[in-house]
Amino acid sequence: MLAILFDGIVQGLQLSLLAVGITLIFGLGGVLNLAHGQFAVFGGVATALLLGTGVHPFLACVGGIASAGVLGLLVDRTLLVPAYRYHGEERLLLGLILTLGLSFIIDGYLNYQLPHFALSLQLAVHSVDIAGVPMRTASLAASGIAILVFGALFAFLRWTLLGKTVRSIIENEVGAELCGIDPARIRTLIVALSAMMAGVAGVVQGLFSSLGTEMGPEFTILGLLVAVVGGVKSINGTLAAGILLGIVNAFASHYIGAYVAFIILLSAAMGTILVRPRGILAGWT
Amino acid sequence: MRLPGTLLRYGDLVLAGIALSLVPLLTGDSPYYLRIATLMLVYMAWTVAFNLLFGHTKQLFLCTGALAGTAAYVAVVLARELGLSPWITIPAGAAAASALGALFSYVSVRRGLGVIFIGIVTLAFSLIFHNLVLGLRQFTNGETGLVTRGLGLPLLEQPLAAYYVFLALLALSVLAYCVLMGLRTGMAFRALSDDELTAELAGIDVTRYKVLAAAVASAILGLLGAFYGFYNGIVSPSVFSFVGVDIPVLIALLLGGMRTRSGPLVGAAAFTLIEEVVRPFGQLNVLVYGILLIVLFVAFRQGVVPMLARRLRPSAA
Repeated sequence: MLAILFDGIVQGLQLSLLAVGITLIFGLGGVLNLAHGQFAVFGGVATALLLGTGVHPFLACVGGIASAGVLGLLVDRTLLVPAYRYHGEERLLLGLILTLGLSFIIDGYLNYQLPHFALSLQLAVHSVDIAGVPMRTASLAASGIAILVFGALFAFLRWTLLGKTVRSIIENEVGAELCGIDPARIRTLIVALSAMMAGVAGVVQGLFSSLGTEMGPEFTILGLLVAVVGGVKSINGTLAAGILLGIVNAFASHYIGAYVAFIILLSAAMGTILVRPRGILAGWT
Repeated sequence: MRLPGTLLRYGDLVLAGIALSLVPLLTGDSPYYLRIATLMLVYMAWTVAFNLLFGHTKQLFLCTGALAGTAAYVAVVLARELGLSPWITIPAGAAAASALGALFSYVSVRRGLGVIFIGIVTLAFSLIFHNLVLGLRQFTNGETGLVTRGLGLPLLEQPLAAYYVFLALLALSVLAYCVLMGLRTGMAFRALSDDELTAELAGIDVTRYKVLAAAVASAILGLLGAFYGFYNGIVSPSVFSFVGVDIPVLIALLLGGMRTRSGPLVGAAAFTLIEEVVRPFGQLNVLVYGILLIVLFVAFRQGVVPMLARRLRPSAA
């Protein structure tokens, strides 16, 4: 029981890590990023390529995550420029198509260039006991990383001036602009940051089992699901949604088969959206 | 005296109809190109339906493939298991799709879901559909799919006859669309796509019209899906996949122009053309496809049809 619960929380943290970038980019830029899973894969691939050159594993991971950030920065400053010229629904639609096109480009290129690619990282110690439950060190490291990233993100948003600026734009873009904030610059920063968090999720997937170039669309869909269950604009909601769905998935796949588990996961997502259409934490945050 | 006037008013559709009925002359005896042209008709009808959903009533259904697939599987499984004629099971499949679509619409209107939330709920349904098809192996034969040859629709096994069957189905779908848009429903759709709250305040029953649009559109999706299943010779999850149906339909609609009558036809034709341009690139086709998608959308942001209309009649825009 406890082991499954732990497992679910660990999976859930990964889902949240993937989804929080989608939440941030949507909140700040009004663009639903359909290439987010591809950012994660890009980060993982860059890490693997760096590892191949003989760099220290830790540095390789940092480099891979940073390169995902650079990709995010480039995308925001080039590809998304036409979308940012519009507002509301038009921006959403154009952003949807542009990022969809981007996801095809990244997927197409990576699958062509590295068809049999797999990133998998091994840790020195395989498992340790916690509260009498044997845990894989990979899971512990993965959740440690996720908790660290989320802690840093919350601290940034709560206590720094820049973080407050970000929240003010999410709250009301025009109002923030009237206070002398330049939304475009903050947006670039956040897109780069979100891409880096996706990169972390990609690398962590490599830590868990293995990461392939074909996993982009799956990541994007899972991330979208979690972000929307969380309410697309709420970061706390995304975290809660990720953990909830992770736990549901862990219990379902332990007690029932894989197909049915996924159906249960999806039904849970559907159900939550229908019960709380504004996000699971709506009204509390 | 009214007939010539009507013909003139629907001039674009008449032209499209004439052009489409002449396509088999162009493809000659090549079954390959005739098959592509037939597929194009299917995508055109699906896009007409999606226009009704997303364009006119702002319901982003990301389950067009799953609805079409539901109808196809219902039709094929009933025909196989009970030995019924496809002429009975296809309408049954379309009715099932229609009921599902209406249900999604009703629930999402009642719960006040925004565009993205409907999108994700229906996307979740798409994924559920695929997992169910894979899981219910005894009926659906899983990944491999079911063979539909010899289930009682020999008409669809002759390429040329099949082309005209699908042309007739497309005409039926466009007719349904035109009737809906021509009646009071069209007025209601226009009002609620501008501003739902205002429409509600003006006394328009928003729930009723949205559900109606979803029911009709899903019936079209299902009808074409079921016929396509029999035409294709096999129904399998990959035939109705998200990437194979939903994304092309979305691209075709946005490329052709949302909320326009001929936009879906133009968009689906353009999409078919792009697919053929991209095919020779082999493994790199996904990449080229992505680039084309971005370039086309930056160039034709509002869709081809509205931009052409503005070129031709600067005053009307």
